Amino acid sequence: MATKSESWDLKATKQLYQEYLSRNMKEQKKKKILPVETVEIDDLNKAQALKRIREFTDSIIEKIYKNGRPSISLPSRTTGNIIWDEENDLLLLGKQMMEKQFHSLASVADMTRLMKVLEKVNELLLKDLHATKREIFYSAVTLFGDQKNSDKCIEDVASMLYTTRNSTHIVASAKGSCVGRLRIRDKNDIIDLEGLGGGGWTISPMLDNIEIIESDAEFILVIEKDAAMMRLAEARFWKKYPCILLTAQGVGNVAVRMFLKRLSKELNLPVFSLVDSDPYGHYIHSVYLRGSKRLSYESPFLATPKIKLLGVLTRDLDKYKIPNSVRIPMNKQDIKRTTDLLNEDFVKKNKNWEEDLKLALKLKVKAEIQAFSSHGFEFLTDRYLPEKLTTGDWI
Amino acid sequence: MRIFHKKDGGIVQLVDKDEIREWPVELPLIFIEYIRKDKLANYKDKQVEKEIEIYLDEILTEIAIPRMISVLDGENETEIKTVLERIDELAKKKIDLVKPIKPYIEKLDKKSNKNDISKACESILSTFIKEENKKALAEKRKIMRQIEQEFLQGKISGEEYSKARKEYLIMKE
Repeated sequence: MATKSESWDLKATKQLYQEYLSRNMKEQKKKKILPVETVEIDDLNKAQALKRIREFTDSIIEKIYKNGRPSISLPSRTTGNIIWDEENDLLLLGKQMMEKQFHSLASVADMTRLMKVLEKVNELLLKDLHATKREIFYSAVTLFGDQKNSDKCIEDVASMLYTTRNSTHIVASAKGSCVGRLRIRDKNDIIDLEGLGGGGWTISPMLDNIEIIESDAEFILVIEKDAAMMRLAEARFWKKYPCILLTAQGVGNVAVRMFLKRLSKELNLPVFSLVDSDPYGHYIHSVYLRGSKRLSYESPFLATPKIKLLGVLTRDLDKYKIPNSVRIPMNKQDIKRTTDLLNEDFVKKNKNWEEDLKLALKLKVKAEIQAFSSHGFEFLTDRYLPEKLTTGDWI
Repeated sequence: MRIFHKKDGGIVQLVDKDEIREWPVELPLIFIEYIRKDKLANYKDKQVEKEIEIYLDEILTEIAIPRMISVLDGENETEIKTVLERIDELAKKKIDLVKPIKPYIEKLDKKSNKNDISKACESILSTFIKEENKKALAEKRKIMRQIEQEFLQGKISGEEYSKARKEYLIMKE
């Protein structure tokens, strides 16, 4: 299939931006209200986080003086306590609480680990340093035994302080990258994301040091795979179509999702995702869209509810005449995952999405983004993406 | 973010003044210079360029300069030195923008007995003098051209012309 040489005007994308702009003027004035049955958490600065730790430890001391049997309660993170907030389109944590006793054989090890993590968080905040989950594990290997234990405590500490993990200065390791029409400030340095070559800027997990200072982008494109990112970077896609490209090389980790959320909120640009046409790709899109179940208490700070699924849609396979030779038959696991997705409330409410997943189940095929290479290496950048962004063919 | 709309439907977004107010003291100047030097021409829209120039001037006069003045009036020597370096750079590029700071530099020069600070102050003041002389000379050159025309047309005497020419040459030296 030959690629069209003329320039696409991205009409539908520009219209979407204009809609956001006029809607934002009204929405800026009203604060997002979460359902009463959900837990509200705050993104805190260093001083606020330290204050919250002090208040928390004071409350434990008070309990010790009162009855000598201290305990802590924190929001339960079990599946049953995860609520889909239809209005804000977010996965949130309900108000079910769990109690942890200090004087219990069953929880004594857990409590000691929890307090160790709290102590480390306090130290990081006081010294204004950041640490990865791995570093926290290595700070007391004998006590934690396995990194799973320290990771769980890290999430417990954040939820019992009713704050985001980033506010505790425990950060994800750098994983994703970003390139395109964006300038940021990292402390005293101005970084131009157009001038860093195809590899772009490695998304810093220390996002509290990062500030968006300038952009002439008109949309943001989140790409599942590094290979597709490389194709777009090599084509300097953002030069012809003003945009910001971002990849997490798979499921978006906390830093990538938080950075995307910031970009989307501050620049108020349309956001699109480009993932493989398979249930895992759709799942990756859903994590950007509504947040993950595991970190549902942080969803308001991690999810980008306005992200659109640009592709690769199942219907695109026929529309763009993807040859059978590059389509892959779905296996049992794919079918199960697709069925699971179809049972999610947020999919049921989105008829277009539901239809596309049902079509995938009917055809029982999947395809990678790279399948477009069967029409030539430039097909993705010169035809598929510009055409979809111009016609508004997204979910 | 402050939004600027281009004629072709594109947009440019720049960080808001409220955010800039929280930055380290020398950073607003670095930002202004960066956008002016590296970005303005890329927007390819004269109207937007003009609007952004105005916005950058606002940042300079409302935030960058008042904050520098407050640092110069303060006691933090490291901050003072950093700010003086930035003022020196800016004075060499666009003297008018840092003119309001001149009295503060003079005051600092008089009060400072720290070698580094007074050296930096003197360097800036000499830049001010050089730049002011350049400006005065350009003005005088304009007048001189007019006098030459009037002399050729016989409107003024040779004596008047030589007097003006002498003044101009002295200034040029």
